[in-house]
Amino acid sequence: MAAPKAGSAARAQWMARAGGLGRLVLGLAIAALVWEGSVLLFGIRPHYLPKLSTILQAIATTPKPYVDGFLRTLAETLIGFVAGGAFGIAMGIVFFRVRALREMVFPIFIVSQTIPVIAFGALVVLWFGNTLLAKAVIAFYLTFFPVAVNTLLGLESVDRQQVALMRSFGASRWQLLARLQFPTALPHIFVALRLASSLSLVGAIVGEWFGDTTGLGVLLLQAMYNENVVSIWATLLVSALLGTGFYAVVAAAERRLVFWGAEQ
Amino acid sequence: MTPGTSSSLAVQRGLLGGLILILAWEGLARGLALPSYVLPAVSEIIWSIWTSRSLLAEAATYTLAEAVIGYVLGCLIGIGLAVFITMIPVTRMVLLPLATAVNSVPVVAYSPLILLWFGMGIASKIVMVAMAVSFTVFLSTLAGLDRVDRRSVDLMRSFGAGRVGILWRLRLPTALPLMLSGMRVATVRSVIVAIVTEMLGAYGGIGWVIFQAVLKIDFVQVWSAIFVASAASLLFFGLVGLAERKILFWK
Repeated sequence: MAAPKAGSAARAQWMARAGGLGRLVLGLAIAALVWEGSVLLFGIRPHYLPKLSTILQAIATTPKPYVDGFLRTLAETLIGFVAGGAFGIAMGIVFFRVRALREMVFPIFIVSQTIPVIAFGALVVLWFGNTLLAKAVIAFYLTFFPVAVNTLLGLESVDRQQVALMRSFGASRWQLLARLQFPTALPHIFVALRLASSLSLVGAIVGEWFGDTTGLGVLLLQAMYNENVVSIWATLLVSALLGTGFYAVVAAAERRLVFWGAEQ
Repeated sequence: MTPGTSSSLAVQRGLLGGLILILAWEGLARGLALPSYVLPAVSEIIWSIWTSRSLLAEAATYTLAEAVIGYVLGCLIGIGLAVFITMIPVTRMVLLPLATAVNSVPVVAYSPLILLWFGMGIASKIVMVAMAVSFTVFLSTLAGLDRVDRRSVDLMRSFGAGRVGILWRLRLPTALPLMLSGMRVATVRSVIVAIVTEMLGAYGGIGWVIFQAVLKIDFVQVWSAIFVASAASLLFFGLVGLAERKILFWK
């Protein structure tokens, strides 16, 4: 009788998911109505907050810059995020293994994070030119630090007795890492990865301010120079879509991989 | 090994790491005779900071003023909002989703809009910093206020304590560690956001100096502004961290 049970469990899960989706759609619809309604009701000037319908219309009439900007910024964000995440995890493991190196390099990492991203961006754009790579490097720079810190924290939270037990069974250092320490650190790592998903988007957008032709940051800047508030809001909406979507994907990956319970 | 000697060893190693970095940097830049747009030597940067000290000091004061005013405002708004939501739980259903929606866009992306609204002067930077700081402080304060043990609340209630009494004597002291750590994290953010906003349009400040230097392709100047900005952030961070340790004397 296992099969029907599993079927009903899957169905319950599907129902829960559909319910969650329904609530999301409902919430968005309410938010849209409140936005539209309050602009009309309180007579907010379009200089501050245009009607939602005006903004959506602006996107619908000329979707190309928004779609192109979305894709371009997404590419920069993703490359920076993946590189920063991988480097951060690797540095966390290295720092965990080699204490002396951690004490030598970690303070430098901390100081590096006080450098204003935009100043660093100026240098990166100079080094790599106005390329996709330059923006990805800026996103990388914002991403790697929280991931490295949390990887280290997670690896250090491993129970000593469990390590001793696995050692007594003859586990090698590599096995210890792969089977015990890394899985224990995973919830911590994902907390940092969720944070990094938003930070990498910041890096990509700010990086585009140094001059480029496509991207959400470029659209923001152009709209500012043209004092086009509708276009700024439209770009903000598209950025929100990108940011929340990316965050949701990382959170979904977390639920998949850390199935035994995510840390909040 | 006592904790004391191990932490002094850590400090020594930290200093050693910094020293190696500076020497390697200086050696690379001098030895390979790298052009300054690739990497100027550290000594060159420090010399440039010294020669343009009045300009940089003025810019740093300008930026720090924006950051500190915005920071204080942001902390007040963040803490006030968190307390408000805890005191009147009905508002949580409206305000929390609203705050999350606003935060789903990276803060810096709002700066073109804020610049259009508040102009190129100091006001737009203060608003941007306050926005960035208030959200961080709001979330950490709210997490702290929510951490209170249900039973302690019930106990105080049974002694006749009102909402305000519970807030002042129980919730706020419990929330303090998380709230203060949020405030410490927000310091570095406040300086960075001020500088980022200055670059898009300003009449002064570190961000403005960096932007001018980029236009003039004066990369030694960019680096000296970076050094000064970094030092200013660390100073601010250190002061707030010190205040935190004074307030949380029981930790």
